[in-house]
Amino acid sequence: MNTENTSSHTTSEEVIIIKDLNKWYGDFHVLKDINLTVHKGERIVICGPSGSGKSTMIRCINRLEEFQKGSLVVDGIEMIEDVKNIEAIRKDVGMVFQHFNLFPHLTILENLCLGPIWVQKKPKAEAEAIAMKYLERVKIPDQAGKYPGQLSGGQQQRVAIARSLCMNPNIMLFDEPTSALDPEMIKEVLDVMIELAEEGMTMLCVTHEMGFAKKVADRVIFMDGGEIVEQNTPQEFFENPQVDRTKTFLDQILNH
Amino acid sequence: MTTGIVAWMKNNLFSSIPNTIATVFILAILANFIPGLLDWLFFSANWSGETQDDCVKDGACWVFIQAWSQQFFYGSYPTEEIWRINLCLGLLLSVVIGSNFVSKTIRTKIFVPLFLLLPFVSILILNGSWIGLEPVSTDYWGGFSLNIFLAAASIIVAFPLGFIWALGRRSTMPLAKSISVLLIEFFRGVPVLALFFMGSVMLPLFFTEGTNVDKLLRVWIVLTLFMAGYMAEVYRGGFNAIPQGQYEAADSLGLSYWQKTLLIILPQVLKVSMPNILATFVMLFKNTSFLMIIGIFEILSTTQAALSNSYWLGGHANEGYLFVAMLFWTVCFGMSVISSSIERKLNTEHRK
Ligand SMILES: Nc1ncnc2c1ncn2[C@@H]1O[C@H](COP(=O)(O)OP(=O)(O)O)[C@@H](O)[C@H]1O
Ligand SMILES: [Mg+2]
Repeated sequence: MNTENTSSHTTSEEVIIIKDLNKWYGDFHVLKDINLTVHKGERIVICGPSGSGKSTMIRCINRLEEFQKGSLVVDGIEMIEDVKNIEAIRKDVGMVFQHFNLFPHLTILENLCLGPIWVQKKPKAEAEAIAMKYLERVKIPDQAGKYPGQLSGGQQQRVAIARSLCMNPNIMLFDEPTSALDPEMIKEVLDVMIELAEEGMTMLCVTHEMGFAKKVADRVIFMDGGEIVEQNTPQEFFENPQVDRTKTFLDQILNH
Repeated sequence: MTTGIVAWMKNNLFSSIPNTIATVFILAILANFIPGLLDWLFFSANWSGETQDDCVKDGACWVFIQAWSQQFFYGSYPTEEIWRINLCLGLLLSVVIGSNFVSKTIRTKIFVPLFLLLPFVSILILNGSWIGLEPVSTDYWGGFSLNIFLAAASIIVAFPLGFIWALGRRSTMPLAKSISVLLIEFFRGVPVLALFFMGSVMLPLFFTEGTNVDKLLRVWIVLTLFMAGYMAEVYRGGFNAIPQGQYEAADSLGLSYWQKTLLIILPQVLKVSMPNILATFVMLFKNTSFLMIIGIFEILSTTQAALSNSYWLGGHANEGYLFVAMLFWTVCFGMSVISSSIERKLNTEHRK
């Protein structure tokens, strides 16, 4: 298995260190001895059958989920019960959800400014300038005054990405960002993500968009039954999968 | 147009044999009652005069209502100070109606704090002694304006209080949770009349000995707690309507618990709860007439006092109670108009 990737954009700095992470929902062992180290600038795609624990794993990284055993260090901050640590980690980690989760009672601009104003305590004018900058980057500055309900799914997801970027995160987590979208909108969201990857953002992305994985991933991780079953460069992963479960999974998603 | 009306009648009133029978039956009943009623209400009614002796015709004696109108509205509040009541009512109306016509920012930054301060500002104005006006003891407050003030002051405080109880109920802290559940279930489970009696007897126990707790203050506290229990329940429904993803998005941005609660959850809970909040308020408002029983001079007791006044012993109960019913109905109807306008506004503001 090739875990050390030496692409030019990846540095040796370790921004996420997960050691022997275990999580249970009651009796159900949902994550089993997860070990994963992510380097600054690395782009990781996580795939695997539904229910395999992909969401649960990346949600542990910003403490949307608790875990019972093991350790997790993000950007040098140890994930412990302390509210201070949790908030510090969340400031560093952006997250994009399958269902966008924009705030429906706030305009697009207000959605984007919320974090900078309330968490980073920036003045309103500065926050709005940042928001407009990122709205331009996701190519919808003209929608700033609208409410989320007035936008298409693809537009909403791009706003959600911009909302995370406004917090100037070091790490971005994506949990199936395109699977709630109509096919014709998937590309506009993937394009934004590819651009982000090219700029050197550290990304962990749960997705079944294999084209995206081949294009930008440094490493593809396959999960099943709460374990990391296999991880490799995209080329090796797709052309030469080592484990039977990976082969079955790839057959299913590539030939249907 | 005639064909339109005929067609409409055919479709709606005479579409089938049972329907036709029902229509004829109802029309017959109406024909029996309406003329007499109209005659009593308007045609044979006595409209002008000052005393009972001016009511010579068979119909309603509206002179009675006229003669007592100040009492009905303002209780025994001194005549030359009545402008203070009107000022408070005006403030209330302008804040409620005005908030519909201003931008979202002004609403949250100015109108909401104003709204929450209104009960206290009104007490200052109505009592007067703290702001250099003629002091008016609460013994003189009364009439329909008192019903309005008590209901409004209670719901305004119950708005945040009920929200805190509802938050407590959802809390993971066992103590906060059990206290909230206890309070909510108690104030929802005990009839409001029993609460009023308990308020008169028990509330003084909570104040230091010897202090004479104002009767209206006690009533206000009871009504507020009663209303907060109902509001907490209404909010609970609202909380359940908020998708989990909203909490997760707020958390992932790094918002603190209170930022998340006040900036993300509260506005959405309020929005989905608004119809139920207004329905609850209408209920509370009508319940203020129970206050008669514990000797508060609200509209119903004022009416009864007027009815038993020795100069007006002509049996004007019909006029009196009809008038009271009209007052309540008008205000409740007004509120349902305001509430549907608020709902419409909220719906267009962030279309889903
Ligand atoms: N709150 C929960 N309580 C109990 N089981 C859960 C909960 N959330 C997820 N699970 C279970 O954990 C497993 C992993 O879920 P998830 O991480 O969402 O999978 P994936 O994202 O890979 O589809 C699933 O079997 C799911 O049913
Ligand atoms: Mg998932």
